[in-house]
Amino acid sequence: MALRKIINPVTRLSGFLEIEVYIEGHTIVEAKSSSLLFRGFEIMLQGRNPLDAIYFTQRICGICSTAHSVASSLALEEALKVTITEQGRALRDLVHGCEFLQNHLRHLYLYTMPDFIKLPEAQCLFQKGEQNHQDLRLPKKENDLLVDHYLESFSISRKAHEMLAIFGGKAPHDHGIFVGGLTVHPTIDKVIKFRSLLDQIKRFTIEKMIPDVYTLARYYDDYFHIGRGYGNLLSFGLFERSSKEIEARRKEEIQKSYRYVEAAFLPYKGKEKRINKNKITESLRYGWYQDGKPERPIEGTTIPDTEKEKAYSWSKAPRYEGYPCEVGPLARLIISGHYPYQISMMDRTIARALEVLQVIMVMEQLLEEIALQEAPQDIYTIPEKTKGIGLTDTTRGALGHWLIIDNQKLFHYQVITPSAWNLSPRDEKGQRGPLEEALVGTKIEKIDQPVEIGRIVRSFDPCISCATHVHTIKGIQKITILD
Amino acid sequence: MKVTIASPREEKRREKGKEAANNLLEQWKSKAREGEKKKKLIWLELTGCAGNIISLLNGIDPGLEELLQKQIDLCYNNSLMTAEGDQAMKQLFTTADDEFILAVEGAVTTKDEQYNSIGRYQGRLISAMEAIQYLGQRAKSVIAVGTCATYGGISAAHPNPSGSISVIKALQNIRSDVISLPGCPSHPDWFLGTLAYLILYGTSPTLDSENRPILFYGLTIHDNCTRRSFFEKRIFARQLGEQTCMIALGCRGPITRTDCPTREWNSYLNWPIGANTPCIGCAHRTFPDGTSPFVQYERSATSTEASKENNKRRK
Repeated sequence: MALRKIINPVTRLSGFLEIEVYIEGHTIVEAKSSSLLFRGFEIMLQGRNPLDAIYFTQRICGICSTAHSVASSLALEEALKVTITEQGRALRDLVHGCEFLQNHLRHLYLYTMPDFIKLPEAQCLFQKGEQNHQDLRLPKKENDLLVDHYLESFSISRKAHEMLAIFGGKAPHDHGIFVGGLTVHPTIDKVIKFRSLLDQIKRFTIEKMIPDVYTLARYYDDYFHIGRGYGNLLSFGLFERSSKEIEARRKEEIQKSYRYVEAAFLPYKGKEKRINKNKITESLRYGWYQDGKPERPIEGTTIPDTEKEKAYSWSKAPRYEGYPCEVGPLARLIISGHYPYQISMMDRTIARALEVLQVIMVMEQLLEEIALQEAPQDIYTIPEKTKGIGLTDTTRGALGHWLIIDNQKLFHYQVITPSAWNLSPRDEKGQRGPLEEALVGTKIEKIDQPVEIGRIVRSFDPCISCATHVHTIKGIQKITILD
Repeated sequence: MKVTIASPREEKRREKGKEAANNLLEQWKSKAREGEKKKKLIWLELTGCAGNIISLLNGIDPGLEELLQKQIDLCYNNSLMTAEGDQAMKQLFTTADDEFILAVEGAVTTKDEQYNSIGRYQGRLISAMEAIQYLGQRAKSVIAVGTCATYGGISAAHPNPSGSISVIKALQNIRSDVISLPGCPSHPDWFLGTLAYLILYGTSPTLDSENRPILFYGLTIHDNCTRRSFFEKRIFARQLGEQTCMIALGCRGPITRTDCPTREWNSYLNWPIGANTPCIGCAHRTFPDGTSPFVQYERSATSTEASKENNKRRK
C-alpha cells in the first residue's frame, strides 16, 4: 500500500503548485504535478489589437515578464513581415539578458538557498515549523557566509532590474521591448550606467554566487544522484549572432546561428537534431480541457473542462516529436557543450549559477557591438490576415508564442511556457512530465520530512504564475493515478 | 622611540570615560528595543502574476531586507517563506490569531470557488475567497497592492474567463477601509510609504474617493508629465522611440493618477514615457479593457477618454 503525500503550497516559486506523490517503503513510486497555469490569457487575447500582445502577455508573469515581450515581439515580427535590424536585435537581447540575471539570482538565493541553509529564525519568514526538516549540513562558518550572501542578493538582484529599467522603462512589465527591437536610444550616459551595474553583478557572480553553489554541492553531493528525469533536452536557441559573425562562420552554419546555444532537440543518448516547428505538439489528455488529438499550437484550443475524468492539471502536455523534454539552463549548457551530459537536482542548480556568467559574457559582447543613439522604430501596419510564431529560449527554458491575425485583430493566441514543458502532466501515451519523472524513484530519507521533493521541484525553477487552480471536490475524488 | 605610559590617575580617567560611553550605549540600545516591537505582515498572493512582490523586492532605502531585520515580521508570503505545505498554512493561520497587517496582490476568482486555492490546510483546500474573507475580517488594516487586487485588472480582462473580482469587492460586506495601491505592478514606494504610515500613526494616510493615498495618486501623469511642453506646443510623436508627447499614440497619462513622472521606477531611473512609449493606464480602474489599444498609430490628439477627463477637470 503506497503512502500518499501532498505538498501544497510548494512555496518559493512563482505561483501555485501542488505536488502529490505516492511512496512505497522509502521510494517515490508515482508523482503528479498539478500545474496551475490557467488564467485564460489565450481567451482574453482574442479580438484585441495585435500590438497589445506585447504589453498584455507580460502580465502572464511578474518574474519573467520580459520573456513574454520578447516572444510576442518575435511572433509579431514574423506576422507583420518586419525585418529587425542588427542594432534592434542586439538591444533587445541586452534587455532580455538583464532578466536572466534577475531571475537566476533571485531563484538561487531567495528560492533555493532556504532549502539548504539555516536562516535566522527570529524572522517569521524564515521559520521552518516544528515538523520541518533538519537536514541542514553546513558548518556554522559556511552557513553564516551564505546567509550574508542571501541578504546581499537582495541588492544585487535589484541591480539587474535597474539595468532592465534603463532600456525598458520599468521592471517588472517593461515598455521598451517592441516590434523592431527597442524604443530607448542607447546614449552614453545610459550605456555606462548599464555597464557599471553589469560589472557589479559579474563580480558578485564570480566571487560569491558560483563558489556558493559549489559549497552546496560539496555538502549535499548525494543530490548529484537524484532528480534526473528523462534526459531529453530542448532549446529554441538564445542570442542570435550578427550577420558579420555568421559570415565569418559560414562553413559551420547556413541559416540562423546563435551566440550561446543553438535551437536543438537532444533525445537522451541520441543525436542532436535541428528544431522543426511542426514537431511541437500539445496533449490535452490529462489537462482540464476538452479533449482532442494532440494538436499543434497554431491550431490549439483552450476550452476549459473542469469535470474531465483523470485530468489533474491546467498545464497542457507539450511534446517534441512525442518526447517529454527538459528545458532550462542545464539543457542549454549541455546542448551548447559548456557542461558534461549529466543531469540531477544539483547539476541543475550549478548550471543556473554558471549560466549567469555565460549570459554576462554575451551581454558584454553586445555592449561592444551596439551603436550609440540609435533604436530603430517604425510605424507598423497590421495586415488583414496573417500569422506568426515566436520561439526563443528564456530564463526557464523554451518559450513559444503562436498567433493568428484576422480582420486586423488577434484571432488566435497560444503560449507554451518553459514550465509547461518541465511540469507537464502525462500525455495520451501515459508518459509522465519531466518533473514527475524526476521525482519517481527518489529515495525519501525521512517519510515525515520529505525534503527531497521540494529540493527537486525547485531545481526546475517552476513558474506557475498565471494560476487559476481548478480542483473541484468531485475532481479530487476521481483522480486515480495508480490505475 | 618614545613610549608613553599612562599614569594611574590618567588610567582611571580613561576607565571612567569608557564606562560612561558604555552606559550611554546601553541606554540607547534599550531605547531602540522599546520601539523594536515588529509589526506582523501577511502578504497574500491570489490570482495574478506575483509581480507586486517582485516589485517590492526592487524597493530601496529601505529595501525589504532592511525592513525584515528592523521593522516587520513577514509571516506569510508564498514567494519568499521558508516553510512549505501544511507548515506554511499553519503559519498563516497562527499569525491571523494575533494582530497583523494584510497585503493582498491578485484578484479573487468567483466563477468557481475552487478556481484559485492558496494551499491545503489539514487536508482541505483553502480557496482564495475563503482566505481573503477570513483574513480580511481579522486584519488590523488591509492593503490591496496592484491593479488586480484593486480593480480586477488584467485577471478580470474581457471576457473574464475566471470571473475575477477585486479584493475590495470580495470584502465589500466586511469592511470599506481597504487601502488601494493600483499599478501594474504597484511601485515599491507606494507600498512602503503606506506601510510606514500605518506603523507610525496606526491609521491610513489621507485617501481619495477610490481609497488611494493622495500622496501618491493625487495628480494625473499628464499633470506632471516631463513632456507636457510638447503637448502644449502640439508636437506629437508618430511612432514609438520619439522623444515628444505620446498622446497621439494613445497615451493614457491624462486619465491615470500616479506620480510616475516625478518618482520614476527601479531606484528612480526611468519610467514608461521616459522609454519613449505611451502610458498604458495600468493604474486606471478600467485597465486593460478601457485603456487599450495600448499603442495606436495615426491617432488624433484628443482621444475620447482624454477629452472627457479634461472636460471633467475643467468643471
